[in-house]
Amino acid sequence: MLVVSNIDLGTTTPSMKPSAFLKSSVKDLTLNLNNDYRYLKTGYYVSMHAEVLGNTVIPTSKSIIDVNRNPILLLEASKAGIPTNRYLVTSSVKKIMLEIGFPMIVFAVNPFSFDGYKVAKNRSALYRAVKSLGMNYKFAVCAQPLRGNMVSFKAIFGKCQQDEQLGEIAGRVYEVFRIPICKLHVQRVEEKAYLCGLQPLKKEEVLPADLHLISEEVARLSLKGDRLVG
Amino acid sequence: MASIACFVEKYNFTDSREDVALQTFKHTAEEMGHEFDFMFREGISEIPKYDAVFIRATTDPLYTSYVVSRTASELGLKVVDDPESIQICGNKIHQYLLFKKFNLPHIPTIFINKEEFHHKQLLEIFREFGKPVVIKAPYTSFSRYVEKVACETSFREVAKRFFRKSDVLAVQEFVPTTFDWRVGVLNDKVLYVCKYMIPKGRWKHGAKLRGKPTFIWGRTVSLKVENTPTELQNLALNACKVIGHGLYGVDIKQVGDSYVLVEVNDNPSIYSGYEDLRSKDLYGKIIDFLVD
Repeated sequence: MLVVSNIDLGTTTPSMKPSAFLKSSVKDLTLNLNNDYRYLKTGYYVSMHAEVLGNTVIPTSKSIIDVNRNPILLLEASKAGIPTNRYLVTSSVKKIMLEIGFPMIVFAVNPFSFDGYKVAKNRSALYRAVKSLGMNYKFAVCAQPLRGNMVSFKAIFGKCQQDEQLGEIAGRVYEVFRIPICKLHVQRVEEKAYLCGLQPLKKEEVLPADLHLISEEVARLSLKGDRLVG
Repeated sequence: MASIACFVEKYNFTDSREDVALQTFKHTAEEMGHEFDFMFREGISEIPKYDAVFIRATTDPLYTSYVVSRTASELGLKVVDDPESIQICGNKIHQYLLFKKFNLPHIPTIFINKEEFHHKQLLEIFREFGKPVVIKAPYTSFSRYVEKVACETSFREVAKRFFRKSDVLAVQEFVPTTFDWRVGVLNDKVLYVCKYMIPKGRWKHGAKLRGKPTFIWGRTVSLKVENTPTELQNLALNACKVIGHGLYGVDIKQVGDSYVLVEVNDNPSIYSGYEDLRSKDLYGKIIDFLVD
């Protein structure tokens, strides 16, 4: 298994730098580790390059695009049985007010932003959110009702430091999309947790404890070899 | 009878030639006994009501059109452009890697990486391709984000601008021609053929006027498919095969007697009196494909 990583994993885990991999034609199972899997960023190009070479890769370029588009993430997650909220994709504030109602959370549909979501409790807050997340109404936004508390946490290979309920949702998201490193936004409503969004991490958000977990998972996956996917 | 949603944005109706083409799609579909509705961003939630989705708004994995395409595909609807085609055609780096892999003749291209962009690499590029060279952002469309540079200073200025959005760019040899071939392909068959003329004194079909935001476009000369070279048609068909089986516009340059690929575009322009001039049946063929 070939590990391509922009994160220094220490001496115990051999890995290739993304820039070196992009110039190579190594044919092997590829594990692409990156804090930022956004479209057009290096993390995306590594997966794309691996696929063109014919390699099986984690994560796939399709997953990278889809998880960063909030409505697609929700649609595919709900198809896979992960609890999600109803949502509306539009740039019309009126339509959002009519169909979602306050309070609500609003996600960008374009994946340019690191900022996650905005909470709108009234009309003016909603106008501000749609304007800023929609980049001056150029893009649509994805609105979801806010019925409980929002929790945001890091998920590393589907594992997290939170309680069992959130751990379960992180595990399911990893099973479906195979994004090794990300931040999840989840809404807790009474006793249930609903997936609301996913976003990349900033490099400084990856802490030594996370690196330890990543190295452990890489070692485990290396042993699994060809059963890496599925 | 099928119901077709045509996903458009307001700008699709600003040019009268595109407006007429869109209305022709609607009339053709209705004459064939189908429903054809224009769907804007606000109507995305209505996708499940339809049997097929035809995207005419500009496509890119970053745009709402991709959300429409992927949503329709996940719901099992027929969709043009399909999300896989948008993913490959929307990223020219992906596309050139596939052309290389399948040995399809294309303009000599190398990739530059934001992390390893330095003086020595620039010298190597100019040594290999000569001057000028063309820098292409992966998300180029409608002749935008493709610039010709002849010195290190302008190379760095353009690359810096394009690197803001993408970590990898394509650099190509400059191949001057008076026109680009445009071959429209649908489901592995040639649909129409045009020549996109390069305006006088320019080097690409659409060029910005110096100091102004407006674009000038070269003429479009439409040809009968049967009067165009077989080699040209075959190259276009082979290029589309590595991408998918939908609707594409293949740009090809003719150098002497040989042909090289410039790029394959999903969501090709269809303007009344231009692409359809010698291929009036293209509307019906596309509707047929959508409802098949």
